[in-house]
Order: sequence, then C-alpha cells, then structure tokens
Amino acid sequence: MASGNMKDIKRRIKSVQSTMQITKAMELVASSKLRRAKERVQQSRPYFNAIYDAITRISAKSRENSVYGRHPVVKNSLFIVIAGDRGLAGGFNSNVLKLAGTEMEGKNVKVLTIGKKSQEHFSKRGYSSIGDYPGLAETLRIAETHEIVDQFLEMYRKQEIDEIFLCYTEFVSPLTQEARCIQLLPSDFKKPEAETGKKPAATEYDPSPEAVFEAIIPEYLYGVLYGAVVESFASEQSARRMAMESASDNAGEMIENLNLSYNRARQAAITQEITEIVAGSGQVGS
Amino acid sequence: MATFHLKVLTAERSFFEGDVERLIVRTTEGDVGILPRHINYVAALGVGGMTITEGGKSRLAAVSGGFVEVSPEGTTVLARTCEWADEIDVNRAHAAEERAKRLLENKEDKKQQELAEARLKKAINRIRIAQK
Repeated sequence: MASGNMKDIKRRIKSVQSTMQITKAMELVASSKLRRAKERVQQSRPYFNAIYDAITRISAKSRENSVYGRHPVVKNSLFIVIAGDRGLAGGFNSNVLKLAGTEMEGKNVKVLTIGKKSQEHFSKRGYSSIGDYPGLAETLRIAETHEIVDQFLEMYRKQEIDEIFLCYTEFVSPLTQEARCIQLLPSDFKKPEAETGKKPAATEYDPSPEAVFEAIIPEYLYGVLYGAVVESFASEQSARRMAMESASDNAGEMIENLNLSYNRARQAAITQEITEIVAGSGQVGS
Repeated sequence: MATFHLKVLTAERSFFEGDVERLIVRTTEGDVGILPRHINYVAALGVGGMTITEGGKSRLAAVSGGFVEVSPEGTTVLARTCEWADEIDVNRAHAAEERAKRLLENKEDKKQQELAEARLKKAINRIRIAQK
C-alpha cells in the first residue's frame, strides 16, 4: 500500500514539474516580448502627446461645421475593443471586455474587434461587427491602422454611426495595467487650463482652420488607434508575465509540499519494513 | 545664424529633434519654407519632400501625410511616414510603383483605385527623393 502511494506522489511531482516548465517558458517569452513592446510604447508616446495638444488647440476654433462634428441624434454607437490574441494573461482580457460591456449598456452597439479574444467574445454574444482584426497587434505598423480608421470614419461621415468609443488597456507600469474606455468621436477635447485665462496667440491656418481640422482628425485617429494597440499589447505581455510568474511560484511551492509527503511516505515504508523484519527474526530466534 | 527648435515625430519613432535654420515642407497647398521667428502656423502635409537645414547643411527626407505646427515654443512636424533620402529602399519603391500601376488598370473598384493612386504617388515621391 505504501509503495503505491509513493508512486502516485511521484507521478504528481512529475506532472507539476512539466507544468512549471511551461509556465516558466511562457514567462520568459512574455518578458522578452514585453521589453520590445515597452520600447514601442515609449516611441509612440511623444507623437501621441503632440498630436493631442495640436488637436485640442485647433478644435477650439473649428468644431461646429465639421463633418466630424456632433450628430443631432445618437442612434448607433461603435465600440472598438482591443483585447489579446491569446489567453493565460491573468485578468487582462476579461477586464477590458467587462469594461466594454458596462459602457455598452443601453446603447445600440456595433463593434469593431482587434484581437482574437475580443472577436470570440463578441461573436459568441451575437453583436454585429463591422470588422475583426485578429493577430495584428504584435507587428502592427501605422499604415495598417489607416484601413481600419478609414472604414469607420466613412461610416461616421455617412451618419451610419453617431458615436465612436475605444476600449483598450493602458500600460501604466509593468505592474499595473488599466482598462480604459475613451470617446473618439464626436471629439470632446477639453481646453488646457493655461489657455483659458489669456487670449490664444493668433495662428495662421493654411488653407483654413476647417480644412486643417478635417485633415488632422484622421491623423489623430491613426495615432490614437496605433497608440492604443501598442499599449494594449504591452499590457497583455506584462499581465501574462505576472500571471506566469505566480503560476511558476505556485508550482514550486506545490513541488516542495509533494516532496515532503513523498519523503514521509518513503520513511513510513522503510520503518514498516524494519518492523516486519525485526518481528520476523524475533520469531525465528525463539 | 538664428535657429529654431524642430521636432519631427512619427507614430513609430522620434525622427528628428534639434535646432535648425530652415525647414521646407510640402503642405497640401504647396511647398512652405519656415525660418526662425515664423508666425504661429498650422497646415496639413501632402506627399513630398522635406528639407532640414542644420548647421549650414541640408538633409532631404520623404514625407507623406501628417501636419506641421509652428508655435513660439518650437516647430513640430507630425508625419504619417517619414524617411531620410539615404534610407529609402529604391527597389522596394519601384516594386510598389509597379504594383500600384497594375492595380490602377483594374477599373472596377473605385475605392481600390483611390488607394492605388495614393500608393503610386507615395512610391514616385520616394523614388524622386532618393535620386536627388
């Protein structure tokens, strides 16, 4: 009976060990991917900040009559939801999908999904999708965002959709990622504090503020979408790295405990054997 | 000589940053030269060249799309794509030109054609800049 128990424990140790190998490997892969993703985030941020500043200044002047202005009635909302292509990344996918779910409540929603998990989530629940882009986050180039953005901008211009939201995960630090949902259109840019006090300096727009504004909106959206995908990808990798790290730690702990019980069982078996031998020899001797 | 601070950014990288004497960019309305103490100015960029003069030397780059903003704090070019003349892969640009031309022959899809036209313009621009 004791040796059977030992065999069981041995088998469990083996299986936990092989699981640990996998989680260790995934952790390493995620952290090397994270390093590259972090670089991309850092390189895209100056562009994003600059374009946001510029558009804030310009939109103060020329918002009213733009084709990208507010629609009188809001009937259809578009949600762009960015999630990962793979699971096993802790709460990464479920956090952003949950947030999207709460934001969608009470709206007539169309979705545009980026990432396989997002696509699966919404197609299973029967949302109508205007486009699915799985497997694009890792190698995204800015040119690829053009196609996506142009597609929904045209729908916005034709008034097929009246609001556009973007749900993504912000990469705050390697330890914290935050799911966020922002409104892209109609644009709602707040005036920077410093400018409200004094009169802004006269600026020349070539050819006109409206034309410049209309040319910049798509640029802005390309930038935002690129930034959001890059941020989400970095978040996914760091979430996965953390999840896998704790899984490896747990596996290590489990192996330790199993080793302890294995040794106990071994000890018990030996003790029993000795007792049996002693008892046997005692009987032979008398 | 007087200089002004110039930043050229793309979404993928910070392309150029430094104090320059002159900047020439192609806006949607035509080429515009920017010198120090320029008035506040914003314009959308077309497909064309960008010349940066720094320390008496000029460098040429190919730019497509984006916009330029001049403010007292400095000048910022936010480009959709941007590469130095010597960085351009001419063979790739030629291949892109051929591909775009073939697409243009197919007259059915209007949207495809617009796309191909834009690509053709970009490819020709790259080739032109690289050969200057």
